[in-house]
Amino acid sequence: MTQPPAATQPADSDRSPGGIRINEDWAATAIGIVLVLLVLAGVIVKAMVP
Amino acid sequence: MSQAEAVGAAPRTIGEQGIARYGWIGASVVLLLALGGLVRFLDTNVPVWLKGVSWIKSVEFPIYAILVGLAAGAILGSFGLRSRLGAAFRTEFLIKTGLVLLGASINLAVIARAAGPAIVQSVILISSVFLVSWWVSGRLGLDPKLRALLSAAVSICGVSAAIAAAGAVSARREQLAYVASLVIIFALPSIFIQPWLASQLGLNQVVAGAWIGGNIDTTAAVTAAGSIVGDHALQIAAIVKQTQNALMGVVAVILTAYFVYRIERVPGATVGLGAIWQRFPKFIIGFIVASALATIYINSAADPKAAGDVVAVAGPSLRTWFFILAFVCIGLEFRPAALREAGARPVAVFAFASLVNLVLALALASVLFAGFQLA
Repeated sequence: MTQPPAATQPADSDRSPGGIRINEDWAATAIGIVLVLLVLAGVIVKAMVP
Repeated sequence: MSQAEAVGAAPRTIGEQGIARYGWIGASVVLLLALGGLVRFLDTNVPVWLKGVSWIKSVEFPIYAILVGLAAGAILGSFGLRSRLGAAFRTEFLIKTGLVLLGASINLAVIARAAGPAIVQSVILISSVFLVSWWVSGRLGLDPKLRALLSAAVSICGVSAAIAAAGAVSARREQLAYVASLVIIFALPSIFIQPWLASQLGLNQVVAGAWIGGNIDTTAAVTAAGSIVGDHALQIAAIVKQTQNALMGVVAVILTAYFVYRIERVPGATVGLGAIWQRFPKFIIGFIVASALATIYINSAADPKAAGDVVAVAGPSLRTWFFILAFVCIGLEFRPAALREAGARPVAVFAFASLVNLVLALALASVLFAGFQLA
C-alpha cells in the first residue's frame, strides 16, 4: 500500500510546540465535548437549585 | 573544567533549554489570552466610546480580533519575536474546539436537514473548482504537485486540504508553506468583503451562510465571516464548511491514486481506502456529538423551549472565547511577504479559481438553500 511520504505525513498541525505528537482534531473533539458536558451539567444544576 | 564537571554540566544545560522553551510557551499562552481580553474589552467599549458613529455597532468581534492580531503580529515581527512567541498561535485547534462547541447550539435535526443540500453543493463546488484550478495551473506550466496543492486548497478547505494533498502527492515542504500563505492572504479580505457583498445582494442569512461556507477556504475565516453576518449564517456556514472538510479524505485518495498511477507510475503500488479515514477531520464527529447531546437534553427537559433558551445562552460565551483566540491567531500568522515569495503565476491561478468559486457558490447556495428554514 502506498503511504503518504514521511516528509509531509506528520502535518504541522499534528505537532505541538513542545515537540509532542498530538492530533488537533481529536484534542479539539475531546476538549469541546468535555466543555459541552460541563455546560449542560451547569445548566442542569442551575435548574435544580431554587 | 574537569571531566566530572563537564558531565555534570550537560544535563543542566538541557534543563535550562527546557525551562526556556516552556517559558516561551507560557509567555505565548499569556500573550494570546491578553490579546483575547483586549478584543473583549474593545468589543464592549468601542461602541460606547463612539456613540455618534452609526456603523460602529455593526463591527463584530471577529473584526476587532483580526485587527488586534494583525497589529500584534506586526509588533512581534518588528522585534523578531513572532516565531519564538508563536507556540500558542494554534488557529486550527482553537477553531475546531469552537466548532465542536457550536455544535451544541445547533439542533441535530437542522444538521440532518442541511446535510443534503450541503453535500450536493460541496460535491459540485469541489469538483468544478478543483478541475478549473488544475486546468488553469496546467496552462500556466506549474509543477503538478503545486497544482494539486493549489487546487485542493482553493476547492476544499484551505490549509488543511493543502496538508492532506501534500501528503497524497509527496509535495515539498516549501510548496506547502507557499500555498498555506496564499490561502491566508486570500482568506483575510474575504472575511470582510463577503459579508458586505451578501448584504449588498440582499441575501438572507441562510443563503449568505451557505455562500460563505462554500466559498471561503479556511474554516476559521468561514467562521469569522459567518459570525459577522449573524448567528443563523454562522450555523449554516459551519455545516457547509464541515461537509467540505469531510470530503477532504476522498479527494486525498483520488489524488494519491492519480499521482501513483498516472504521474509517477510507481510499479506494483496500490492505494488503500484507509486514507479516507486517516484524512477525515475528526472534529466533525465532535460537532455532531455535541449537537446530539444538547438536542437530547433539550428534548428530554420538562420545558424544551426554556431548556433550549438556557443552552443557547450558556454555550455561546464559551464558544466565542475560542473563536476570538482563533481570529486573533489569523492576524498573528498573517505574513504579507509570502505573496512576494509566491510569485505571480500561483497567485493568478488562486485568484481565478477563487473568482469561479465565488460565483458558482453563490448560484448553488441560492438554489439549494432557497426556502431553507432553521427552526
